Amino acid sequence: MPSGTVRQELTDEERRDSFTRDALPYLDQLYSAALRYTRNPADAEDLVQEAFAKAYSAFHQFRPGTNLRAWLYRILANTYINTYRKQQRRPDEVSADAYRDGLSDGAGDFSLYDRIAAATQAPAEVEALRRLPDEEVKQALADLPEQFRMAVYLADVEGFTYAEIADIMGTPIGTVMSRLHRGRAALQRALYDYATQRGLLSAAGGPAESHEENPRERRTDA
Amino acid sequence: MPDDCHEVLRELEVYLDGECPDDLEALVARHLRACSPCTDRAEFERGLRAVIAAKCTDCAPAGLLERVKAQLRVLS
Repeated sequence: MPSGTVRQELTDEERRDSFTRDALPYLDQLYSAALRYTRNPADAEDLVQEAFAKAYSAFHQFRPGTNLRAWLYRILANTYINTYRKQQRRPDEVSADAYRDGLSDGAGDFSLYDRIAAATQAPAEVEALRRLPDEEVKQALADLPEQFRMAVYLADVEGFTYAEIADIMGTPIGTVMSRLHRGRAALQRALYDYATQRGLLSAAGGPAESHEENPRERRTDA
Repeated sequence: MPDDCHEVLRELEVYLDGECPDDLEALVARHLRACSPCTDRAEFERGLRAVIAAKCTDCAPAGLLERVKAQLRVLS
């Protein structure tokens, strides 16, 4: 389609073809994001279907030549926040508050690099973390409070810029940066715990000191 | 740790995000070329993000694409 074409002039069939060609290739990525948001495959499927339906209905508002991927992610995030979160868990917001309070004492400064380097007296290598099972890394991310989880996912997995994440989540850029910083620190702490439990860092940190003053909600208790 | 290491490490996260203003980016890059401890740390953080990205990706389940397409036909 020539850029600048007003989409209202498209026939239904042209609109469907255009949407199928341009938007549907993002299905895997959006499903992946939906799974991180909802933490549940059935909800993730429903969320993706609903988000695509909304995107399709609003497709005439999308300006050709602007960022379609970010536009789709914004619709996904809005759909999640407006529909799924309302149905599900208030507790998540409570834990986010507890988490922020917990961070005021400096718990947000955890550095995996420092922790490993201090224990081994050598520069930390990322190799040990690479041996973690995918499921444990996903769980570590899933355990972050929602706002932190979304920000870290959008930046570190999807590679969105601060401005794009701010747009997708409807927050100022400063908030995005703060959520990223704290979310990453909490994720590193969780990864340290998982790696220690697996013995991947046993020569390094040792499991003994891995559970101190951690306000983060944990599901595993191994 | 020298002062400029502290200064650079404060900016490292934003630098790795590719979000530093140009002058600051050049300053951090220059420091990293000269300082191997800071480079080790930057490499670790970069590598860790790559590990997280590689491990937190899923494919849509079989059939979802067809269900979405069927939905579009109904909505048209």
